[in-house]
Amino acid sequence: MLLTDLQKRMYQGEYGPGFQKAIKMLIEYGEVWDADRLVNVHSAHTGLGGGDWLNEILEGVDQIRAVTTTHAGTVGSFQARKAMGVAENYLQGGEQVEKQMLDLCVPKGFIPASTCTPYLVGNLPTAGRVFSWPGSSGIIISNSIFGARGNRDAMPASMVSAITGLTPDMLLLKKECRYGEVLFKIEDLDMENLNEADYGAIGYYIGAVAETRNVVVEGIPQNVAFDKLKSFLTPQPVSGAVAMCHIVGVTPEAPTVEEALGHKKPEMTVKIGKKELKEGWESLHTAEKDEVQVVSFGCPQLGINEIGKIARLLEGKKIASGVKLVASTAEQVYTLAKRMGYVEIIENAGGIIVTGICIMGFPYGQLETPATTGATNSAKAASYQARSGTNIQYGSFEDCINAAIKGKWER
Amino acid sequence: MILHGKTVKKGQVEGEAIVSQLPFSYLGDLNPEKGTVAPKGHDLEGQSIAGKIFVFPTGKGSTVGPYVANMAKKLGNTPSGMICVDVEPVMAMVAIMNDIPMVHRLDQNPLEVISTGDYIKMDATRGVVEVINK
Repeated sequence: MLLTDLQKRMYQGEYGPGFQKAIKMLIEYGEVWDADRLVNVHSAHTGLGGGDWLNEILEGVDQIRAVTTTHAGTVGSFQARKAMGVAENYLQGGEQVEKQMLDLCVPKGFIPASTCTPYLVGNLPTAGRVFSWPGSSGIIISNSIFGARGNRDAMPASMVSAITGLTPDMLLLKKECRYGEVLFKIEDLDMENLNEADYGAIGYYIGAVAETRNVVVEGIPQNVAFDKLKSFLTPQPVSGAVAMCHIVGVTPEAPTVEEALGHKKPEMTVKIGKKELKEGWESLHTAEKDEVQVVSFGCPQLGINEIGKIARLLEGKKIASGVKLVASTAEQVYTLAKRMGYVEIIENAGGIIVTGICIMGFPYGQLETPATTGATNSAKAASYQARSGTNIQYGSFEDCINAAIKGKWER
Repeated sequence: MILHGKTVKKGQVEGEAIVSQLPFSYLGDLNPEKGTVAPKGHDLEGQSIAGKIFVFPTGKGSTVGPYVANMAKKLGNTPSGMICVDVEPVMAMVAIMNDIPMVHRLDQNPLEVISTGDYIKMDATRGVVEVINK
């Protein structure tokens, strides 16, 4: 790999052990795909986990080189977990861990947004710019909807990019690697009227078929709401590892199906109809019991319109006793929701709205009264929560809120 | 049988193979406290991948995977080596961060020519995999 003088000095340890370890990891990472250089990252985002590894990689790093926000779980999780009713023994030390993370990272320049939706709070890479983010949903959204360029960088990859301000020039950073490889044609489905859970179920089906390949989708209406696209794209790297999904007529690199495919034939063409939608639903709606103890929204964290929808559905209603309804968002969006009166409506109905936390792995077993049954409109949360053994109902905002009010799922 | 592939993470390792036909995510698919494969219906459900040479098609799922693998590694619950058909970036970082020797893009499909229980000698630095059938 060809390194600039600055990069060589980092590699030789002139900037200290943290920069040296970080650039060595990026070079190893780049060599897997024969990258010939490292390029500047315009937008970084990363998590502060990794335990001892984090301390090692930050050794001697005074200031990180990329503009970097932090992922969900860095600030606010302790308060959120407390509000959600996590038992005292599981909360112990949580506040201190957060304080340590902040004390370590804020002086180095990490911006503690604590969100999985950096694009909702001002860290928004535009078309053609390079980003290095963890969070498979943010990655597929930034590549596909915004036309920015980034790979499926794992947590440690985005951390070393944040430190060095660099990433290997490979895979989805290159125009020729961004074209679609598998074509999905939506037929016989009323996409205008399908809800966000339907979009999620189709996305989940598509991810499993596409695996690591770039996707092109035909048949989604041009005026589709951003929130539905978020529900549609997020599950694709859950059932699969998709990081680029062109939607013909909607996303910037897909004015036509031919352009999205780079004027090549797709490896395969798959029809999406009622049968595929049903199959997607069935792999997510895995509950065996009708009881619902927890309803969770916000994987990825909710946007202001989604919170508005929850508030409208809960207005004047009461959540059944014994049921927890949790809505998760970013702190900045929460402030807006408060101003709009949404927070008050949700709280009056008995719901909880939390910030800064990831609710994908909801702590069912750690609650004061441990729970085993849940409902969500997030395909991603449904998939991961079911894999950890929870009885999961999957459905729309309406279905889930109905279950919260009744205390059980109505089929 | 000798297979040739491309390095993901350098290192030499040998051990027993365990083969899955499914893309893998360290978040969700591995129980890091036990080293076993968690989900119901997975083709390795309940089986341990710890200390073995794990052979599978590719990675998938959450980008937190390398941190989950890091937790598992501290408990001795990660594979000692990995072989993929074609790796994707999250799985590559699992190997790089946690120093697990790994190769991909072999000259034959490892899912077809390696079986669970085969003995593997792998030089990931050179990209050479020796398969000794059980």
